[in-house]
Amino acid sequence: MSAETGRAERAGGAPAAGTQTAGAGAAGTPAAVWEPLSTPRREVYRYLGYRGIVPDETVRAAAEECIAQLAREVTPRQVRRLLPLTRTVREDGAERLVIEGIPVDSLALQKNLRGCEEICLMACTLGPGPDRLIRRASVAQMSRAVILQAASAAMIEDLCDLVNARIREEAAERGLRTRPRFSPGYGDLPLELQRGISRILQMPKTIGVGLTDTLLMTPSKSVTAIVGLVRPGAAGTADGAGGADADPTCTMAGCALCGARETCAYRKEDS
Amino acid sequence: MTDLRERLGREWLFFDGGTGTILQARGLRGGELPERWNLTHPEDILALYAGYLEAGCHVFNTNTFGANRLKYPGEGELEAVVTAGVRLAQEARERTGRQDAYIALDIGPTGKLLEPLGDLGFERAVDLFGEVVRIGTAAGADLVLIETMSDTYEAKAAVLAAKENCDLPVCVTVTFDEGGKLLTGASVEAAVAMLEGLRVDALGVNCSLGPRQMLPIVERLVRAASIPVIVNPNAGLPRTEGGRTVYDVGPEEFAEHMERIAALGVQCVGGCCGTTPAHIRAMIGRVSGMPFRPNTAKETTVVTSFSQAVEIGPVPVIIGERINPTGKKRFKQALRDSDMEYILTEGLKQEDSGAHILDVNVGLPEIDEPAMMEQVVRRLQGVLSLPLQLDTSDPVALERGLRCYNGKPMVNSVSGKKESIEAVMPLVRKYGGVLVALMLDEDGIPDSAEGRIRIARRIYEAADRYGIPRKDIVIDGLAMTISSDSRSALVTLETLRRVRDELGGHTILGVSNISFGLPQRATINAHFLTMALQNGLSCAIINPGNEEMMRAYRAFLALSDLDPQCMGYIEAYANAPAPVFGGTPAAAGGAVSQAGTAPADGPSSASSSAGGASQSPLAHAIVRGMAESAAKATREALAVPGTDGLTLINEQLIPALDQVGKGFEKGTVFLPQLLMSAEAAKAAFAVVKESMAGRTQASRGRIILATVKGDIHDIGKNIVKVMLENYGYDVLDLGKDVPPETIVRTAVEENIELVGLSALMTTTVVSMEETIRQLRRDRPGTKVVVGGAVMTQEYADAIGADCYAKDAMATVHYADRVFAAHGTPAD
Repeated sequence: MSAETGRAERAGGAPAAGTQTAGAGAAGTPAAVWEPLSTPRREVYRYLGYRGIVPDETVRAAAEECIAQLAREVTPRQVRRLLPLTRTVREDGAERLVIEGIPVDSLALQKNLRGCEEICLMACTLGPGPDRLIRRASVAQMSRAVILQAASAAMIEDLCDLVNARIREEAAERGLRTRPRFSPGYGDLPLELQRGISRILQMPKTIGVGLTDTLLMTPSKSVTAIVGLVRPGAAGTADGAGGADADPTCTMAGCALCGARETCAYRKEDS
Repeated sequence: MTDLRERLGREWLFFDGGTGTILQARGLRGGELPERWNLTHPEDILALYAGYLEAGCHVFNTNTFGANRLKYPGEGELEAVVTAGVRLAQEARERTGRQDAYIALDIGPTGKLLEPLGDLGFERAVDLFGEVVRIGTAAGADLVLIETMSDTYEAKAAVLAAKENCDLPVCVTVTFDEGGKLLTGASVEAAVAMLEGLRVDALGVNCSLGPRQMLPIVERLVRAASIPVIVNPNAGLPRTEGGRTVYDVGPEEFAEHMERIAALGVQCVGGCCGTTPAHIRAMIGRVSGMPFRPNTAKETTVVTSFSQAVEIGPVPVIIGERINPTGKKRFKQALRDSDMEYILTEGLKQEDSGAHILDVNVGLPEIDEPAMMEQVVRRLQGVLSLPLQLDTSDPVALERGLRCYNGKPMVNSVSGKKESIEAVMPLVRKYGGVLVALMLDEDGIPDSAEGRIRIARRIYEAADRYGIPRKDIVIDGLAMTISSDSRSALVTLETLRRVRDELGGHTILGVSNISFGLPQRATINAHFLTMALQNGLSCAIINPGNEEMMRAYRAFLALSDLDPQCMGYIEAYANAPAPVFGGTPAAAGGAVSQAGTAPADGPSSASSSAGGASQSPLAHAIVRGMAESAAKATREALAVPGTDGLTLINEQLIPALDQVGKGFEKGTVFLPQLLMSAEAAKAAFAVVKESMAGRTQASRGRIILATVKGDIHDIGKNIVKVMLENYGYDVLDLGKDVPPETIVRTAVEENIELVGLSALMTTTVVSMEETIRQLRRDRPGTKVVVGGAVMTQEYADAIGADCYAKDAMATVHYADRVFAAHGTPAD
C-alpha cells in the first residue's frame, strides 16, 4: 500500500522574529510558509476572464474542487534576504543601481527605489505540485487545467502578499517603510536579473526553484521581487509617485507599471 | 590507503563540515562562484581543507559543489576549477600529514530543474555530472560525494554519471525538509529505495536542518536503509546578524546532538552549512568512543515513483494492466499513431480507480518499442504519482525505460531461462528495481507447484550472484486458464502458498488469465482473486476499472483485518450504487475522483444565451458543457433507426459548438465554459466515432501546434488544440520548448498547410520569429498563425506571421479560411 502520499507538509508555527533565511554560501532554510494560503475567489475568476462577473454554479463548483486539490498539493516556500543598495554612475552619466556587486540598469526600478539604501530580495514558490496538476488536467480535461492555472496564479499572489507583509512588519520594527514590490520583467527591469537573484538567494537549494535557459522560473508558480526599504523622510522621497509607501496595505506594484497595461485581459479594474 | 569500501559500515567515519560559510568569512561574496576560489584564492582553500583534516575527519570535500559546465562554460574553465580543487586537497593532506584521509569529489545539484519540472534533459544532466566525475577522478579523488540533492531524478542522473565514469565509491546525501520530504516530494523511504537500487555505497542526509530537527528524519533513514547511513546537518538554523549569516548551534551543542544521532545507528557523521572545524572536532571527541553498530539489512520490498513509496508485502497491491496492447485494437492504434493522450488517459483512469502501480507494456512488432517505452515512461511519470512496472521482453526497451524512470520501478519480467537471466538481471543490478520472475524455463511451464518452486529457487540463487537482494524478487505463480486444464488454478494457488511459506517470498499474478475461454469471465476472475489473496498473493495485476474485481479486493482487505475499521471499504462504497451484475457498471464507487472527473451536470449560464427549449438534448448538453449527458444523448440519438452519425454532427453538434463559440466571442461565455462545451462535444464525437467503426472520417485538415523553443508554458496551445479538434481538424501537437528545426521538419515531412505557434514571453518571441524564417525558407506555402500572452497584431506582422489569433476561436476561424481556400483538406 502507499506508505506515503506525496502530500505537502505545511508548516505550523511562526519562525522566531527576525529570522531570515540565509543567503549565499550558507545553508538556506527551505522555509515552509507560516500560515495557510487563502485563494481570493475574485482573483481566480478574474484570471479566468470574468471581469466583475460571478461565474455560474458549474464553474464555481469546479473552481472549489480545483482549489481544494491545489491546497493539498502546494508546498509553499519562501526565502528573503536584506541587502544594502548602492549606486554608481555610468560612463554616460546615468545612475546605476548595484545589488551585491550586480549592476542593474532600470529607470523604473530606480524610481521605485528612490531614497532606499537597503532592499529585501524575496523569492517564493508553490512548489512543483500545481504544475503537475495542470499537466495532468491538460491530458484529460482542459477546462480543469485553465481553472487550476487561474487558482494557482491567485494563490502565488497571496503567498507574495504574505511574504511582503512579513518584510513590511520587520521593516516597521526598525522604523523603516517599504516600497511596492518590483519584479524582473516589470517595466524595463531586465529578466536577466533573475540569474543574480537566483544566485544570491540560492533559489535551487533554498526553495527548489530553477531557471530555464530563457530565464523562466520552474516551477512556474514562483515569483521573485525586490522590496525597497526606506527611512521616512529620507532625502529624495518627497515626490508623489516615488514616495514612501504610506499606506501599509498598498504593496502591489500594480498594473500601472506594466507595458502591456493597455491590452492585458487580466488588468485590475482599478488600475 | 585502505579502500574506503572496506571501512564504510565497519567503523565510525567522520566527514567534514561547512564550506560556504567558511569561505564567506574569508571574504567570498554572494554573487561570486565559490569554486573559482580554487584558482584565485588557493591559500584560503588550503586553509579550509587543513582545518578539517586537523580536526580529525576521515573524509573531506573538494571545493567543487557547484562546478559544472553550465556555470563554467569557458574553454578549459571547468577542468581548471575541478582539477585545482582536487590538487589543493592533495596538498592539504601532505601539509597536515593526513595521508590517510579520503578526498571526496564534491558534487552538488546543477541548479536547474530536470524535465518535466524544468528544462534540463535527464541525459544532459548525466553528461554534465559525468564531465565533473571524469575530471575529478583523473585529478586523484578517492570517492564521489553527491550531496544536497533535493530531487530524486537529479540524484539518479548524478549516480549514473558517477558509476559510468569511474570505479570510485559513490556516496549520496539528500536534503529533506522538516516534514521528511525532498523539494520535489519524495519521502525518506522513497529516496532510500531508489538510491539502494542504484547500488550506492552509502546514503544519507545533509543540509537544510540542524541536528535537532534532523533527528526524526534520521530515525526513518536508519529504519529504511540497509547500507551505511551518513548524517551531515547544519549548525542549527541560520539568521542574519548585522548583514551576516550566523547559525545558532555552537560546537559543544552540535557535538551533543551528534552523539544522540550517532546512537540511532548511523555509521558516518559530519556537518554542513555553518559547521566549522571546531564543530567537527567536538563531534569526533564525543562520538569516536561510542560503540559502533553496523547497519542491518531491511526486508521491506519497496517500489517508488518520484514521490510515493509503495511497499509490497503486508497488504496486497493492485497493479493496473490497461496500458498494454494485447487484445486491444484501440490501444494498438494509439501506439501506431504515437497517441500519447490516449495512453496517458488510460493511466490516469487507473490511478483514479485505485491502482497502486501501473504495468506499462508498449510492445507491438511494427513500432520502435525502445523509443516508445522511453516516451511513455517519461510522459506517464510527468502526470502520475504511481510507480510503474516496466513490462517488456526486449532488454533494449527495458533499459531505456529503467534509465529514464524517476524512482525504483517494478520490472516485468525475468524467467528461469539462462538467456533471460543474463539479459535482465544485470540491468536490474545497475538501475535497481523489483523484479517479477516467471516460473518457466527452457522446458516450459511446470504443471506442478513443485516444478515451479524449483525454478523459483534457481532464480533466487541467480539474484544472489548478481547482487540483487532476494526481497526484490517477486514470484509470478502463473495463472493458466482452467478452461484447458481444470487443475491449473489449484497448482497456481499451491505455488503462491509455498512461495510465502517455504521461501518467504512475494508473489504476483496476471489474475484474469485464469478464465480465458469462459463466459462471464469477471465472475471467475473475482472469485479467483479472493482465493489467490487468501493463499498469499502480494500483487494482483488486474483492470482496476473492473468493479467486480475491485469489490473482491476491498472485501478481502476488510475481512482479513488489512483495512483498519473498514475505512477503505466504507469510503469506496458508502455512497456507491449497488452493483449491477451482467452489465458494466459505470466507474462507480472507489474511484478517487481527481482531475479526470467530468464536470457535474448542472445549470450553466451558457444556456442563457442558448436557443431555449427547442434545442435537442445533445445540443443542450453541449451548450451546458455536460460531458456525460452529451455522450448519453448521442447514444440515444443514434439508437433511433435511420440516424446517421455525420448528420448528427453537422446538424446538432457543430451548431451547438458554434453557439458557444459565438457567446465566447461576444463575452457572454467564458473560457472554462467554452472548454467544458468542447469536452462535451468530444465525448459526443467519441460515441459517433464508435458507431462508425471501420469507416474513416474525413479530416478537415492537419495542423501543427507548438509552443516555441525556450517557452515552457503550453496551456494556451492546449486550449487551441482542444478547440481545433472539436471542429474536425487533426492536430499534430509537438509540445512545448520545440526547436524551429523540429517544427519545420515535421511540416515538410507531413506536408502541413498550417502551423500554429505559441509564445508567452517577449524573450521567446525570438524563437517564434526564427521558426517562421526557417518555415518560409523550407516550406514557403505553409501558413503560420501565432498567439500567446505577449502577442499583438503589430508583433505578429513584425515577425512575418500570416495571422494573429487573439484566442482559440480566432484560430479556428483562421483554420477554416485556410482550408476553405485550399478547397480540399490536405492528405
